[in-house]
Amino acid sequence: MAKRSIFASISLVAIVLGLLLAVQFRVTNNFPNGIPRERTQELAGELRQLTGENETLQKEIYDLKLKLEQVNAGRQQAVQAIQSELDKAKIAAGIITVTGPGVEVILDNPKGFDPTLPAELSIIRDDDLLKVVNELRAAGTEALSLNGHRITPITEIRLAGSFINVNTKRVVPPYQILAIGNPDAMKESLTLPGGLLDYLSGDLGIEIKIKKHKELTVPAYSGDLELNYAKQT
Amino acid sequence: MPNKSAFIVLSLACVIVGFFIATQLKIVWDTDDPLRLRNLDRPRALAAEIEAAKKHNERLQREVERMRSELDKAMAGQRLVNSKNKLDRIRAFAGLAELEGPGVKVTLNDSQETIKPGDDPNLYVLHDEDVIKVLNELKAAGAEAISMNEQRVIFNTEVRCIGPTVLMNKSARLSPPFVIKAIGDNDTLFSALKMKGGVIDSLKWWGIEVKVEKVEKVTVPPYEGGISFNYAKPAQ
Repeated sequence: MAKRSIFASISLVAIVLGLLLAVQFRVTNNFPNGIPRERTQELAGELRQLTGENETLQKEIYDLKLKLEQVNAGRQQAVQAIQSELDKAKIAAGIITVTGPGVEVILDNPKGFDPTLPAELSIIRDDDLLKVVNELRAAGTEALSLNGHRITPITEIRLAGSFINVNTKRVVPPYQILAIGNPDAMKESLTLPGGLLDYLSGDLGIEIKIKKHKELTVPAYSGDLELNYAKQT
Repeated sequence: MPNKSAFIVLSLACVIVGFFIATQLKIVWDTDDPLRLRNLDRPRALAAEIEAAKKHNERLQREVERMRSELDKAMAGQRLVNSKNKLDRIRAFAGLAELEGPGVKVTLNDSQETIKPGDDPNLYVLHDEDVIKVLNELKAAGAEAISMNEQRVIFNTEVRCIGPTVLMNKSARLSPPFVIKAIGDNDTLFSALKMKGGVIDSLKWWGIEVKVEKVEKVTVPPYEGGISFNYAKPAQ
């Protein structure tokens, strides 16, 4: 009888131990779930971008439907439709001045920096400006300019000699970037904790100011539109 | 003695039984409650949502493509030749038309070198900023049209890292090797990239694999995404 109760209690203890072991195993196994937290954020970001892009496509489909009806309705309406398509292409090409809400980002060397020093000694490098522009693009900007030069599909922002060139024109600090689009989304994207602004101002010491505007004017690209090498297929 | 070994065997068997019971219970709980499953498996749920959005995206892209060409045909039928020619020219510059011409083909890939212990492996893989620099270099050398892995570079094209891949044009997830095609003066484009101390040089220092080819003809596809302006309006 005594032997039997020992058996029983040992069995019980062993089963409980097994249960605990299994729970422990599941917990440690579950914790990173094979995918770290950062990955979840990246996936959430990707989903947000995709959803936004799908909305844009949806809007364009609606717009194209309308224009298609216009074109088929007669010559006068057709002229209107083609004008509207022209405006859209012109904004995308950057060859028309546009207005709208957006943000203004100003980057300057820290106080006490000798302004006569050449750009290659400046704290702000072409890479930094490219990063700001890239972030604004990811946040859905619709038109961009840097110190009055419109950013087109083929605009460079590049240190050449002692200056940074934009559309082959020299620019000097302070650098002012204007971006038309959703002001809140663009500002938020730049100022995320541990984001680009923290890096530029905190780590590099760049003086950086971001301001939301109800109305901004982004100038047109005034250079050559001629493509000398690329031909339509 | 036989008593003792029986004890051990029994205890072991009981531990195993307990383990099974617990695992079984967990599985039943997990599958019973979808909310619970979602919380536990948030990344997997997100991945599934992305998959669905991506499918939807492809359908919408095809629809836009079809409607754009339908509109073009309708415009041609209205004999608006001058306006249509102007539109085509602007679209080509904006990245909304397929273009071909001489240029370069650049292939970028992660470093295949074995990383020394203590080294940060992050330094040996391609980052969004590397890609951005190469694209910028091509623009500075006068490229007229650029694409990467068949994604056209337009005015608002972004390149952002997502783990070992990049997201470009909001909807395209690309993984290395990245093949960049650029149309322009192929001698200028080639030498700009190959310049000593230039962007390619610094990538090679980290063992990033870079191949630059001068080509007589390269085709750059049109932008496939949507173009819709909700904030920017032509100035009066």
